[in-house]
Amino acid sequence: MRAVETRPPSSRRRATPAERPPAPRRRPGARARRLRPLVPYTLLAPALLVLAAILGFPLYRLLSLSFQQYGLKELFAGRGTFIGLRNYQDILTDPFFWTVVARTMVFAGVAVGLTMGLGTLVALLLRNLARPMRVLVTAGLVAAWAMPTLTAISIWQWMFDFEFGVVNWLLTRLGVDGFEQHNWFDQPLQGFTVIMIVVVWGALPFVAITLHAGLTQVPAELEEAARVDGAGAWQVFRHITLPVMKPIFLILATLSTIWDFKVFTQIWVLLNQRPSREYFLLGIWSYSESFGVTRYGKGAAIAVIMVILLLLVTSFYVRQMLRAVGP
Amino acid sequence: MSKSRRSRLTAILALAVALVLGVAACGDSGGDGDQSTAQSGPRTMTIWLMEGSAPPKVVDAVNAEWKKAHPNDTVKVELQQWNNITTKLDAAFAGSSPPDVVELGNTLVSKYAAAGALQDLTGSRGEFENNQAWLQSLTESCTMDGKLVCAPYLAGSRAVIYRKSMFAKAGITELPASLEELQAASEKLMATFGSDKRFSAFYFPGKYWYAALPFVWDHGGDIAVQDGGQWRGTLDSAEAQAGLTALKQLVDCCSRADKQGDELKQDQTFAQGHIAMIVANGWEKGVILDPKEGNPKLEKDLAAFPLPSRTSGQTAPVFLGGSDLGIAAKSKNQDLALDWVKLLAGTNFQTQMATVGGVIPNSTTLLDVHADDPYLSVFDATAKNSRFTPTSPNWANVEAANILPDMLVSIFTERASVADATKEASTRITETLNAGS
Amino acid sequence: MTRKRLTRAGYNTAAVLVLLVTLFPIYWMVATGFKRGVDILSFEPRWLPIPGTLENYRSAIGKPHFLQDVRNSVLVVIATIVISLALAFLAALAAARFRFRGRAALVVMLIVVQMVPLEALIIPIYLMLDRAGQTDRLAGIIVTYLTFVLPFAIWTLRGFIVNIPEELEEAAMVDGCTRAGAFRRILFPLVAPGLVATAVFSFILVWNDYLIAYVLLRSPEKQTLGIWLASFTTNHGTEWGGVMAGSTLFAIPAVVFFLLVQRRLVSGLTAGAVKG
Repeated sequence: MRAVETRPPSSRRRATPAERPPAPRRRPGARARRLRPLVPYTLLAPALLVLAAILGFPLYRLLSLSFQQYGLKELFAGRGTFIGLRNYQDILTDPFFWTVVARTMVFAGVAVGLTMGLGTLVALLLRNLARPMRVLVTAGLVAAWAMPTLTAISIWQWMFDFEFGVVNWLLTRLGVDGFEQHNWFDQPLQGFTVIMIVVVWGALPFVAITLHAGLTQVPAELEEAARVDGAGAWQVFRHITLPVMKPIFLILATLSTIWDFKVFTQIWVLLNQRPSREYFLLGIWSYSESFGVTRYGKGAAIAVIMVILLLLVTSFYVRQMLRAVGP
Repeated sequence: MSKSRRSRLTAILALAVALVLGVAACGDSGGDGDQSTAQSGPRTMTIWLMEGSAPPKVVDAVNAEWKKAHPNDTVKVELQQWNNITTKLDAAFAGSSPPDVVELGNTLVSKYAAAGALQDLTGSRGEFENNQAWLQSLTESCTMDGKLVCAPYLAGSRAVIYRKSMFAKAGITELPASLEELQAASEKLMATFGSDKRFSAFYFPGKYWYAALPFVWDHGGDIAVQDGGQWRGTLDSAEAQAGLTALKQLVDCCSRADKQGDELKQDQTFAQGHIAMIVANGWEKGVILDPKEGNPKLEKDLAAFPLPSRTSGQTAPVFLGGSDLGIAAKSKNQDLALDWVKLLAGTNFQTQMATVGGVIPNSTTLLDVHADDPYLSVFDATAKNSRFTPTSPNWANVEAANILPDMLVSIFTERASVADATKEASTRITETLNAGS
Repeated sequence: MTRKRLTRAGYNTAAVLVLLVTLFPIYWMVATGFKRGVDILSFEPRWLPIPGTLENYRSAIGKPHFLQDVRNSVLVVIATIVISLALAFLAALAAARFRFRGRAALVVMLIVVQMVPLEALIIPIYLMLDRAGQTDRLAGIIVTYLTFVLPFAIWTLRGFIVNIPEELEEAAMVDGCTRAGAFRRILFPLVAPGLVATAVFSFILVWNDYLIAYVLLRSPEKQTLGIWLASFTTNHGTEWGGVMAGSTLFAIPAVVFFLLVQRRLVSGLTAGAVKG
């Protein structure tokens, strides 16, 4: 631990310990020098220990389950039968799997696009508002973020209810035909629109507030200079704002992708815990295989496939991230 | 100066490490130490009841009675929520110390029993009061391959709750005694009140399969039959189809409920005052009249009658819902648990459950406790003529796959004919029930 | 001049629209909490809770073990936030300021861990805590929450520390501060917003959780507020007035927490991200 302080300041990023010039102000002892490489590990140890202790075994368990025939009986007895890749084979040869994958990808794609797009617009709007209005909108976003998730979903469900739905009432009042006693989840396209609204509504506050915070770091002089040079609003955004904001966009897009790909609670609650198969996304399917029909092995395999797909989808960003981190 | 800073940082690091180690250390200790002592010394037993199943007063009384026989031991009753209960049960039974006694919805029992979660109680059956008079359908739900795996706890069955004033205004003086009369009465109500676009004479949400089954059974059909160890879905039989066709006719003329909706909000909807009849459990009257959920003003206007059969003067067999009490196979307190279950399932406390809680007790001999209550006695009577879903461990999968609601929705929305919809459902039921578990 | 005013009006209109969409569900929640039974699910939407009632609040607060639930939730949230911040900060320091073998793997791992669906892990986690005798204990759910909070926290904080110019620290050290001193005087204040952002994220996740607490806790006296909120839904249906009154109470601490940290939060959320 002492090594933290004895380490010379200039070493942090540019030089590796070996080629670092001797420290000017303090003369570390030989022992301290020997311990120096251990410093980062010491710092990391507590967090990694917790993660390994609590998450390590369950992750291993999830993976091993996916290679087993594992039902309720096996669960209660505590041991399954190893069946190799059978679960994966079953899933990958099931045409339903590909439907669900495509559906999940499209859903997540649209949800991320909408969240990021609307988030950016709201963030830009925030920047252009006068102070009182800006505070008001920020407070609104914050309140929406603070709302209990399950309650928020239930309220949206209510808004789109068959008999008591405020949306049906409003549309009927506005003279739109066919929305009196209308079931929004009859047609999956409409149903997913509602689900999308709920998901995007829930994600927007985090994204908008974060992006707005990011915008405050874009040098105003630069934008002003561009404007003086005759650049339009879009060009300023495209060539000045966007490059500065790129890292934030990347992080938010990755997080949104992960969250929207895994979307579960919204669908589960909106469809009264009984979604029909046309509303299955990967997360719902995995849960339903596990807890609905108690095929835990297959449910685990779907979860593993989900993680792999997510890795593929986000690999672009992960690579960028690694590049930033260095070798 | 630098020294103090250094030590502060060190202290933070040390604290962090200590936290982690502390957490890990906790992991080694604790556990179920007190239970491994088995038969000697005071023991603690855990009971899981579902929220709202037994009034706290009754539970306390059972505990007190049990304590008399086990003065050194402790009983802990933990009320569990219904939402996601199977997830919690799966985890608990998989763990090392599941609750000793667990209340299970009667359609869940066979799934857990087949997986070995429940203790075989066949040998103890004789020790239960009224065990020969247990309601047939509840006993069925507790029977697995000829073995008794739980004790019937309480029943729930459905009848028709209706608005007296609406019947009077429509000129209906006699309660419908046959399916035909039910249809006629519904049409009369529609003729009287139908100009109100929200009005339903016989409010029937499309996915309400519990309420659809009586029509199937009354016409002589069934969900599935077992021959030679194999299940066969039989909803496509002529009898079952006739029942569903009769239901469709009723829904077509007289229900403006969501043909793709479920019955979760039917009581609140009923309380809005645009509905003459719903098929409901006895307790649903309480929801309709609850000032926080419904409309207390309807109190005097509500009454019930049993769902009539197509044979005049008889009632249709209804689905008997309810709960059973199982003892975990992993329980280290089998004896204590059995004593507790025997109490709650026995005459004394079943009577209290019925009088205090208003539920249907587990035995035919106790069904007269509500005799002087014109409302509750209707429901008690229907329990005598009740049926149950196939007792296959895979039945839960039929429910999880929404097979029955899907079929009903197809029929009511006319996306498929009764013949096609029932054919598809039967095929899926056959497949699901026979699937290797 | 007019053009500018027009743009301003346009922005304000858009802002009002945004406010409507974000606030309407919240308004509906608060209003419903004060409505009487017949007015809650009504065919004609009731925009105002008139005549109102406090019955829903009474029933929400009157639930058995309510105060115990509050205590448990507060305890769990504080413990999770404090421990996760401490651990994440140290780890982030390592990831941001040191080069070491396995750093790239660490970063990838922190992302991958967040990709695993929680629902799929619930039984394995239960079984592991069961083996350690930690089910039905607040410590058990605290460590479980830690594992879901930590990856995000480390990631965010790392971005923060990277973002702080090392030259600042160096300058401080030239002025005679030790490394620890530089850390405390220079680094810490700059990282504070990051800590706040992480705390907010943890707060939301833990405060809102239902599934983990529901599966891991069984004793009535060990439940959290998430479970309390779900208790309005029984097999007899959902008591909407109670849910909404309860949710309003439930959201208040979160909103207060936000308002307290809001100014730091805004600068916090981004700084972490700017340097990817």
